[in-house]
Amino acid sequence: MPKYGMVIDLDKCFGCRACMVACKVENNTPEKHFWMYVFRLEQGEYPNARVSFLPRPCMHCENAPCVKVCPVKARYHEEGGFVATDWDRCIGCRYCAVACPYGVNNFNWTKPEESQYLNWDDPDLIPLTDGHLPYANPDLEGRYGSKNRRVAGSNHQHGVMEKCTFCIHRVEKGLDPACVANCPAFALHFGDLDDPESNVSLQLERKQSWRLLEDDDTDPKVHYVGGAPPNEEVRQIETVKVSE
Amino acid sequence: MATRTMGNRTAISNYGFYAWIGFLAVIVVIGFINFIRQTTDGHHLTGLSDAFPWGLYITGFVFFVGASAGATIIGLMIHAFGRDDYAPLATRALLVGLLSLIAAVLFIAVDVGSIPRMVRLPLIWRNETSMFTYTSSSYYVFGAMLAAELYLALKITRGEATDGDRTVAKWLAIIATPFAIIVLHATTGSLFAVAKARDFWSSPLLPPHFAVVALLSGTAIMMCVAWVTSIVNGVELVSKRTVAHMGAVVALFITLAAFMDFFDFIVYKYSDEYAGNEAFHALWSDGWILSSLHVGGYVAALTIILFNRGRSVGLLGAAAAISLVAAGAYRFNLTAAGQAPPLLPFLERIHYSPSWVEISVSAGIVALITLAYSVATRVLPMEEPAGPRLSEPKM
Repeated sequence: MPKYGMVIDLDKCFGCRACMVACKVENNTPEKHFWMYVFRLEQGEYPNARVSFLPRPCMHCENAPCVKVCPVKARYHEEGGFVATDWDRCIGCRYCAVACPYGVNNFNWTKPEESQYLNWDDPDLIPLTDGHLPYANPDLEGRYGSKNRRVAGSNHQHGVMEKCTFCIHRVEKGLDPACVANCPAFALHFGDLDDPESNVSLQLERKQSWRLLEDDDTDPKVHYVGGAPPNEEVRQIETVKVSE
Repeated sequence: MATRTMGNRTAISNYGFYAWIGFLAVIVVIGFINFIRQTTDGHHLTGLSDAFPWGLYITGFVFFVGASAGATIIGLMIHAFGRDDYAPLATRALLVGLLSLIAAVLFIAVDVGSIPRMVRLPLIWRNETSMFTYTSSSYYVFGAMLAAELYLALKITRGEATDGDRTVAKWLAIIATPFAIIVLHATTGSLFAVAKARDFWSSPLLPPHFAVVALLSGTAIMMCVAWVTSIVNGVELVSKRTVAHMGAVVALFITLAAFMDFFDFIVYKYSDEYAGNEAFHALWSDGWILSSLHVGGYVAALTIILFNRGRSVGLLGAAAAISLVAAGAYRFNLTAAGQAPPLLPFLERIHYSPSWVEISVSAGIVALITLAYSVATRVLPMEEPAGPRLSEPKM
């Protein structure tokens, strides 16, 4: 059984946020939800300021705090190393969000049909959508993983917790996650961490790597190469405008 | 014993009672309307966010679990510790314990995204590594024990209890007392303490701290009940000496809680621990009003109790009410301060203020259990008639 992971090359990332857009389009995530988020950071003062970028998907931790605390096993380890959320089981207690040190969980605070960027009732848009509502993508209505659960980006429900799935629905078809496939700088790599010949293993061999909040012993499966772990001297310079 | 029993006599008129019930009913209706709005429209009507997922509802839940445990222990004093002078309070304390537990569960119910799924926990769905599984299991068990104990207490007050009923009541009390302290509230404390991302909560001291504040709030609630009942019924429910004894118990728990708070502060202050320092900054910047209520309330309550030489029931009741406010402020501060430090070092401290919807729904829950208590104490026999008790009073 493969152990899927991601390698993010910070020397290549230039903060275009194409991965964020690709994730949104692929998973139809509601307004304000970013399963993949790219922090734009700055360190030092002008004229010696330095800008850096930090893409942050779910870390799909081997020792995931969210999996431990979920009272109903809605958050669970899927074969292949995915940390998945069963949307038909989540009670919306948000204990996973409290326990996760990375802040990658998104609760559906509103009805998904009311939390889209466009007014999908607009008659001009109906020919484009063919009558399908964007939060209920029929292409993703299947069940995924060995446990055959509904874990991917379709029929987003009010009152349920969501997060990055490593695009399990794409990986099952042999594709890379949407963020990886759409990165113009080839900064994101996805593959089997246990396979020494895989793209991710080769990336990890070439450069020194680190993981986010490594001291927390969560054993994340997202590795960074290049750059440096963020510290308290780094500040965020620009946030995504999520609502009016 | 200076205790006087008075059946269900009341010093206030029926009009006064109905006005009180009407007032509570209005708050319940407003809360219910806002709960329906929140359910149909979404939890975005609360002040919560992905960065700050737990707020006033969780504070209410923790407060009432604690109150339930503490009040129940007062109700079981007669059985568990042979304190016969607490007998007139026993049935009321069990009622307060049960209603507080119901309030705690209602607070969780309004907080979660799906109530129909929540009720499957823990019998149908459960996760053995989640503290939530153990806390929810303990609420079912404790609720059943409390309901049985209350049923037996009502039989005793009606004079219908057999010797077998009294033996069962005694054994239930012996089991329920440690259960209330250790299992019920310590597991609730563990719920917070095991949250990986929240360094401020991640302390082995938190479960015992929770248990101490639970005992403090439960005892203080029952002091308030004794005080208010004496005003409403115009007759002392328990003797001044018993109220003073409860005051001493509250003072002891305030001292213990303050002791833990103080050493928490010292450790965070001088260990230069990032999350702890951030949390304390949050407490004394955004949350300074509640922090002042927390610290000032403890000091004021302790001062009144220790210097109330005349053992005035009114002053002791006021001290109990103040310590309840302080305990509530502590619960809110704990919930808020644990989530205030940013998860990643470059993010900013997180702010939270409860919304009108959260406040009205919370007030509705409190009003609902107060209403239930008011009606129950009106229609059910709350004091044991003269005659043999479980054990003979100590001279």
